[in-house]
Order: sequence, then C-alpha cells, then structure tokens
Amino acid sequence: MTDLSDLTPAAWPTRAAAAWPAVPLLVALALWGYAMRHTDVSPLDDYGLVSALHPTFWAGLAVLTAGFWTTVRDPRRRNCWSLAYVLGLLVMERATQAVLYPTPLYAWAWKHDAVIDHLLTSGGLQSADQLGEMAVYDQWPGFFAAQAALVRLLGVDNAAMYMAWWPLVSSVLLLLPLLLVYRTFTEDRRLIWTAVWLFCVANWVGQDYFSPQSVAFVLHLGVIAVVLRRYGRSGGRGGRQGQAVWTVLLSVLVTAIVVSHQLTPGMLVVTLVALVFTRRYRHWVPAVTTVVIFLAWCLTAALPFLSAAMPDMIRSIGDVGANVETGYGATPTGTGAVATSWAARLLSGSVLLLALVGVLRQRVLRHRALPLLLVAAAPLPMFVASSYGSEMIFRVLMFTLPGAAFFAAAALLPKVRTLAADAAARDTGGYSPVAVARRRRLPLPSPPPLRYGAWVPPLVLLAGTLAFVPSYSGKDRINYFPPREVALVQRLFDQAPDDSLVVAANRNYPLAYEQYWRVDHYWFLDDDRRHVDEIVRDPAAVLARDMAAVEAPARAYFLLTQGQTANSEMNGQLDKAQLERLRESVAASPRFELIAENSTGVLYVLKPAS
Amino acid sequence: MTPQSATTPQDAMTPQDLMIRMLPPFAGWLALAALALPGGSPLRGAAVTAFLAVGPGAALVGICGPALRARRAEAPAERRDPNFERHSDLLERLMLAVLLSVSAAMLVATVLIAAHAFSGDRVLLTLTLLTTLAAFCPRLRASPPTASTARGAAPRKRKGSTL
Repeated sequence: MTDLSDLTPAAWPTRAAAAWPAVPLLVALALWGYAMRHTDVSPLDDYGLVSALHPTFWAGLAVLTAGFWTTVRDPRRRNCWSLAYVLGLLVMERATQAVLYPTPLYAWAWKHDAVIDHLLTSGGLQSADQLGEMAVYDQWPGFFAAQAALVRLLGVDNAAMYMAWWPLVSSVLLLLPLLLVYRTFTEDRRLIWTAVWLFCVANWVGQDYFSPQSVAFVLHLGVIAVVLRRYGRSGGRGGRQGQAVWTVLLSVLVTAIVVSHQLTPGMLVVTLVALVFTRRYRHWVPAVTTVVIFLAWCLTAALPFLSAAMPDMIRSIGDVGANVETGYGATPTGTGAVATSWAARLLSGSVLLLALVGVLRQRVLRHRALPLLLVAAAPLPMFVASSYGSEMIFRVLMFTLPGAAFFAAAALLPKVRTLAADAAARDTGGYSPVAVARRRRLPLPSPPPLRYGAWVPPLVLLAGTLAFVPSYSGKDRINYFPPREVALVQRLFDQAPDDSLVVAANRNYPLAYEQYWRVDHYWFLDDDRRHVDEIVRDPAAVLARDMAAVEAPARAYFLLTQGQTANSEMNGQLDKAQLERLRESVAASPRFELIAENSTGVLYVLKPAS
Repeated sequence: MTPQSATTPQDAMTPQDLMIRMLPPFAGWLALAALALPGGSPLRGAAVTAFLAVGPGAALVGICGPALRARRAEAPAERRDPNFERHSDLLERLMLAVLLSVSAAMLVATVLIAAHAFSGDRVLLTLTLLTTLAAFCPRLRASPPTASTARGAAPRKRKGSTL
C-alpha cells in the first residue's frame, strides 16, 4: 500500500480545484476531435456543414460554453483560463473547416491566390490596360504583396497550401486589439471575456478568410485601441514627445491599412471623427493623419480605379434602399439556405438587441464607455455612402460588432456600480469577488447557485454559440470545392492557350481567376436577364454564338461545375434542372467537344467554325 | 557627495537588456539562414513566420518604448487590481509588436513590388536590416514626467462625474 502520509492534506483538493476549468475544456476539445474524425463532408446538402457534423461537435460546443461561463464568473480563476476557453472556441469555430475539407473554401479566397500568383509572375504592378477590372487589386496591393513574399519565403507552390487556416490566424490576431479596447473601459474580467466570446460567436460574416479585409480589420481595431488608450484627455498635458511617437506608430498602421483595402480606411475615418466629438477624445491628430494618408493614396496609386468608379459611387450616395439591398443572385432559395440565412439574421439581431438592452440598463457603464458606444455607432452612416457591391450591410455589421459585443455582454452581467457605491459596499463588508479571492486561499466555497432568472444569460450565450455554426458554415455547399472539381478546372488552365475564353454560369468555382492576365472569362448569369433567358431557351446555339468571337490559336471553353450549380440554385438564379438541361444541350451540340468530365462537372471546348 | 555621471544606473545596459534588444535582429538573420532549408520545411516556416510576425515590430517598440510610456494610458474608472494597468501596457506592447511587424512586411513588400525589385529574399533581407538598425539605435527618451503624468497620480475628476 502506498504511504501518502507525507502529502500535505490540502494539496490534493487545492490542486484539483485550481485545475478544474481544464476538465470541461479538455472534454470539449476531445469531443471536437472525435467529431472531426467521424464527420463526412462528401455529401453536403443545403444545410452545409450543419447537417454533416457529428453530434459530438454540438456536445463539445455546449460543454465549452458551460465551462467558460462557470470559469469566467468564478473570481478565483485567472485570466489565462478565460483565454484558454476563447482559444478553444476559436479552434472549434474557425479551424473545423480547415480540418474537415481537403481544399480551401470560398471562391474569393481562390481569387486572392490568383492575384498573388499574378504578382509573382509579373514581378510588378500593372494597370487596367493590361488587366482590365482586375487591376483594382494592383492598386491596393499591400496584403497580396506580403503574401507573395510569404509564399516565396516558405518555399511553397502557392497560398492555397496554407490559406485554409487563415480564419483561425486572423481571429487569434483580432484578440489582441479587442482585449485592449475592452480593458480600456473596465477591469471586470467577466465583462471583458464575455464580450470577447460574444464578438467571436456573432462575427459570422465570414470576412476572416484569406483576404485583405481580414488583416485590415485587425489593424483598424489596433488603431482604435491605441487612440482610445493614448489620446484621451485624462492622460495629462505632458509627454508631447510621447504623443508624437504614438502618431508615428499609428501612421505605420494606417498606411498598411490604406495600401491594402478600400473600405477599411473609410470606416476608420468615420470612427475617429466620431470620437473627436466627445470631450474625452477631442484630439484631431489621429483623424487628420488618417485622412491625409488615405487621400494621398487615393490621389496617386488608386486614382485610376477611383476616377473610373467615382460616378457610380457618387450616384449611390444617399440611396439607402439600394445600398442595403443584397442584390440579384443573393436571395436565399431552398429550405437549407433560408434556414441558415435566418439563423444568421437572428444571431445578429439578438446581439444588437442585447447591446441595446445593455446600453439602456447599464447607466454607469454607458457613461464610462461612451467612446465605445460611438465606435459601434460610427459605421452606421456608411449605409448612406455606398452599397459596396451589395455587401455594405454585412461590413457595417462587422465594424459595429466590437462595440456592440461589449454592451451585449453587459446586458448578461450584473449592473456596474458607481465608484462611490462600490466603496460603500466594500466598507460595509459587501461581496467583492476579487478582494475575497485574493485574501483567501483555495479551496473556497463554490459560487452561489444560479437563481431561476440567472439561467437566462448562460442559455443566451449557449444559443448564440450554437447559432454561429449555421450562420458561418450553413452555405458550405456553395463554398466548398472538392479536389476533383479543382482537378477539372486545373486541366482547363493546363491546356488553355493565351487569350482563351472560359464561359461558365458564375464565378463560384475554384481557380476561377487563375492566370487572369492571359485567360478571359464570361459568367453568363452576371449578364442581362433577357440574355440569360435566351441562353436557357436555346443553350448550345446562344453560347456558341457568344463564344465564336475567340480567334485561333486561342480557344473558347465551356465549364459547368457543382460549385456553380450550388451557387445558382441556392441564390435564386437557375435551378439544378435548368442547368442540367443546359449541360445536355451543350453535350448534344456538334459545335462542342468534350475535354474532361467527372462527378463534379464537365469541360467542353468550342470547335473552330470551319 | 559624488558628482553624477552622465550615465545613471538606470541607463546602464544589463546583459539581459542586451539579449532582449538583440533578439529581433537575431531572429531575422536566423530566418535568412533558414532559407537554406528545403521549401515547405516546418523549421524554415517557423523561423520565417516567427520573425515576420513579431521581429520588426518588437525592434520598433524597443526604440520608442521610453517615449511611449511618457504619457499615461487611459484606464478603467475602477482601480481594484494594482497589476491591471501594467498588464494592459504589456498587452499593448505585444499588440504593437505584432501589428507593426505585419504592417512593415506589407509596406516593404509593396514598395519592392511597385519598384519592380520584388523577391521574397529581398523582403526578408530588408526587414532584417531595418530590424538590426533599430536594435542599434539609441532609445527615444521621454520628457521628465510632470506631477500630472506621473505613474500613480490620481486621475482628474469632473464635477458631477459618476466615476
């Protein structure tokens, strides 16, 4: 029998209690790991990943949320436990797709890989004369240039080798400025971490993928964090030299934003200007610096694009109805698409409603964190400014979220008291969790049991956490391209001569922009509705006519893949039967010759007219 | 009383300070050396990514550190945790090191590509040289703190404030 008499009697319970938060965290991660091994993504339906996920995934999310809520409310637990839970959440939310899918998601991410390939091939920036509408990426090249360098330095073939993991990387990076912003307004650990959690689960918009906006958003929030901390009035009058140095550092961040993305500098300017209207942040330097750098770039490197796009941009100012309209080809169609779309709307609506409740209920916090309220409200006028390719509503939501999540978290937690009330409570021996935790050693009595009404906040948190999955991954049938689909498209580019034309239903397929500097595209569902109707009536003849202008040795290809079909069908354009008829018409036409075919699509080439 | 020397004891660099100061450029040169490893090698990836993610920013924050601390940061109204402000400052420095590094990589790559002088090696070499230069630069000094900016000074309260 082992002699345990030399052990300190308190050692076991103390250590066990201190490590208790690890249990739900490890259980959740184990359940997630099991789910990853037992989820099959090959037969995705209209619910995307939601219906494909193994049930243990949902159990893991529930355990993680319950563990987080218990840990964050326990004054004995250090910040590192809350951080561990948030990192666990990010892994379960943002790494699941990278683990499950063998190829990167999103046609847009593949497009960005093509831009990097262009920069590596050309070795420089090109104009619209050479690249057409794709020259816009050469006018905001910051992100792509850095990624081109990274591809070379890692010694990999292309960015597709690592871009599936970008959502996790960009989300972890966001934690740094987000925490700093929240820590400027409160010391309450519960409020800080619950707000971070809510931000993570409400940020379903999907701008964390391999894109310039993912990095620009992190930098944007970094600038806001520095301005909120270092340009306030209570910092004192001294340290002008220090403030100049801060401005230099801010300029570096702002310049990186400006050379990388079109919209983010605009959002940053309206946010900084909104802050200037408060007594606490009446400091024009950050806003003026941002405007000067933004204008300098717009009037030089980005001038060709802006001068061409300016008439449309001016027309859309004030047209709020059109700016919030999601546009043709963006109407969720089918039970799955509608259900996941409503899940996303309910999630966003709930968080914004909670934020409103937080603002109304938390009088003291509203006063203390007024600048953060302005940060949340500042992007709203951008609805008036532009439609941003039918995406403005989602972008505004994303930029509103850091502030909104803070007040939404405040709605779920006890009321914040004034300093005087706080001091009075302490003097009269009132409950002060931090002080108690510091005075007494473990083991301590567990936190008081939850009252009936106290079950509402954890349930709200759990519902939001679960709703993230359909909101974020509910359209994976559109966004996922199996390796066979990639191989089919790759075969096209392996043989296409210069100046060839690729005709497809839409741009939702992998490698859609591959070698765009030498191969042209025509996506007929983007065309006028009357012309689309003509194609549907007599597909082979109309498509052959559209493709006939291509001169040898260039060739004209017709490509139809499952990604295009899913996108068309789930967004209310042509349905699967119509596209199938179109494929059969092309297959039966003597004008087309089959080049390749597999379970994910077909590739035809137009025979020369002779 | 002995006359004060030009260098006060606080200014003397300890071996530990020197090591911290030289860590970013060392990481840069290590990343350059790692390019000799085959493409796609995890060691090469780790060395390059670690330097690009933190190195240049850490060197820049190192130069500016004393001047940046001249002005006290905004802090929450409640002051219960004596370490809270220090931890926030540390988090801020970490955030700046990462974001400035990412920004520097983007700007250097953009400049080189705009000048038609782009290559991955040149981007890394330029960043490493800038980081090395920053490590040898003298630190930007802060103005002597006034009573209102000194650490621990009570925040000014407004009439009628709930703070």
